[in-house]
Amino acid sequence: MSGVVTGCGVVSAAGDSVADVLTAIRAGAAVRADVRDRFAEPLPEVEAPAIADFDVRGLLGRKGTSFLDRATALAMVACGRALADGELTPDDDNRHRIGVVLGTTTGSLKSTMDFSRETLVQEKPYLVNPVLFPNTVMNCAAGQAAIRHGLRGVNATVAGGPLAFLYALRYALNAIRRGYADALLVGGVEEYTPNTAWAARLTDAGPAGEASAVYLLRRRGAEATGARAEVLSVATGFAPDDADAGLAGCARRALATAGVRAADVWALAGDDGDGLRDAVPATAERLPVRPALGDCQAAAGALAFGALLARYAEEPASAGRPALVTGRSRDGGVAAAVVRGWAGGGDDHR
Amino acid sequence: MAATITASAVRTCFGDGPATWDALLRGDCGVAPLRRVDPRRVGVEHGYPIADDRPFGPGRWLADCVTEALAAAGVDPRRRRVVSLVGTGLRESAEVERAALGGTVDFPAERLHFGPAVTDAAPGVGRVVTLANACSAGGHALALAQDLVETGEADAVLVGGTDASTASMLAMIGRVAASPTDRVRPFDADRAGVLLGDGAVVLVVEADRPGTGLARLLGTGLSCDAGHETAPDRDGILRAVCDAHRRADRRPEQVDLVLAHGTGTALNDETEAGVLAEVFAGCAPGPLVTALKGAVGHTSGGSALLSVAVAIEALRTGRVPPVIGLRRPTPEAAGLRLVRDRAVVARPRVAQVDAFGFGGLNAVTLLEAS
Repeated sequence: MSGVVTGCGVVSAAGDSVADVLTAIRAGAAVRADVRDRFAEPLPEVEAPAIADFDVRGLLGRKGTSFLDRATALAMVACGRALADGELTPDDDNRHRIGVVLGTTTGSLKSTMDFSRETLVQEKPYLVNPVLFPNTVMNCAAGQAAIRHGLRGVNATVAGGPLAFLYALRYALNAIRRGYADALLVGGVEEYTPNTAWAARLTDAGPAGEASAVYLLRRRGAEATGARAEVLSVATGFAPDDADAGLAGCARRALATAGVRAADVWALAGDDGDGLRDAVPATAERLPVRPALGDCQAAAGALAFGALLARYAEEPASAGRPALVTGRSRDGGVAAAVVRGWAGGGDDHR
Repeated sequence: MAATITASAVRTCFGDGPATWDALLRGDCGVAPLRRVDPRRVGVEHGYPIADDRPFGPGRWLADCVTEALAAAGVDPRRRRVVSLVGTGLRESAEVERAALGGTVDFPAERLHFGPAVTDAAPGVGRVVTLANACSAGGHALALAQDLVETGEADAVLVGGTDASTASMLAMIGRVAASPTDRVRPFDADRAGVLLGDGAVVLVVEADRPGTGLARLLGTGLSCDAGHETAPDRDGILRAVCDAHRRADRRPEQVDLVLAHGTGTALNDETEAGVLAEVFAGCAPGPLVTALKGAVGHTSGGSALLSVAVAIEALRTGRVPPVIGLRRPTPEAAGLRLVRDRAVVARPRVAQVDAFGFGGLNAVTLLEAS
């Protein structure tokens, strides 16, 4: 049994659709927004692959949005869009079986660091603003998204930096296969703030990017009309000494689990194509995220997945052909997912 | 889809699996004076001990069960992908107490969980994970074992539960009883509380192959009360039971036998009996109900799997052991078909095993005769 993607919600520097993400990736040049006046704090750069105009109140309304951090707001918007796109309306009959699984790096780094700093610099008895405390928990985005959209099913936050989306996808696929939920919003979110910008600069990972991409994953056969893609398998591994070999092993395991031959892989999304030279055909199309959208950390895998969906949508001849989404982290974590997509919309491709 | 249990190995105060089964059918009670702790210092005089006072008892009993179960199942971890999950309430904490009292730590920290014990007994096991979750630890491990097998993440899972009492746990029990309990009396109006038992159990879970296995593992329902730390919660337990029935695709009237958690405490027994009465209200005559803790004590992290192991024998042999220590049922349990005084012959096809842990951690398993 597998999960079927029937909806998506994207907020990215390239635009608000998976087609926009694909266009930017294909162009290959870094998407740029002027970030000079965005924060009071200095930034390491004047332009960054950040979302140019994100109007929280315009998108979510005034009520309850005053204290949201950017990552949480981005996730809430993307979750709402994925539900709408997948035409799933949570109600009292289904909300206990619909959940949220989001990948993150550290939650909102800015919220955590600001709160910590306040406790150090404010006079005793530490006049920190308690309203901001909830933003410092790592599962804030998934929790707030569930509250906003009334989703009472499985709610999980899976931390894993650049691998977080693939980890979340694996978690979600298992939760659906094992009957813990009928539908899950699964995605990744990362915000651009001075904190992430400097973190990326100082670790030489930059430039920092930002995005939120969320997909509606449903149990195969459970009213899964309009299926765009099927997630067949996800494999994860840890290979600090030889990440290329580790990733290739992951890809082979994922393909074997999915019952797919490596020779049939037609596209590869993620920033790790080189490591898979020997594992998949050289002709397989590469869709790297980083050159266009920067270091999007927990959202990187979600953007790669979105680019694949867009690629399937624009080329009907690719229907049903398997593709890989891959990721790796600096410490040697590796992961790969096998996906099969269609031009999408309207048909149930079982 | 179902998984199957292909082997079972048991250690209790009565001995190994066959010795335990025979003792249960005879109606024996394994209560005995405490062995490893001074009764005057903990306010408890009795337990259901295994006659083995060497260090690292839980790990050694578990390792013996691993060896026995692997041989019985014919599973070689060097040839197949085998994962081991071990549920426990107290782990090897007794050795921490020993080290603290003696002032010398004479073992490496990793011996406190069960990785080395399992891998020494079963070279080739891929991973050994020790799970907590109090007295339902074994039930949680069993749920995860089924997930691992049915998703193809493992060819076989060694799912274990093991515990021995610690001085601190005994002292806690000694402080909550008005006077020292002399034996556990599940569902009895004159129950006086719980006593701890030593025990270890290992089951081998594999993908279902028709005609093989000791019993089919239909499903385990899990819930967390998220309420009181020690008081069981009716709604939470009910959710776990309903989840188990839904996962197993069985209706209450199809359940023939219940292995109750039955701790012999007022809070557990009244709540559990109430839930069972409610779940099986529309069933006539309703399932037989038995419970083991009067015979073997509360084996903590081992108790869920010990009940599963006994349920398997009941499904295989058609005999159901009685609730030991039960003389006069509490009012809440009066309507249940409690097996009393002596074993009965029945033909159970589907058994339900209840396990509830402190923290409101509930695990309810449904098994079916192969």
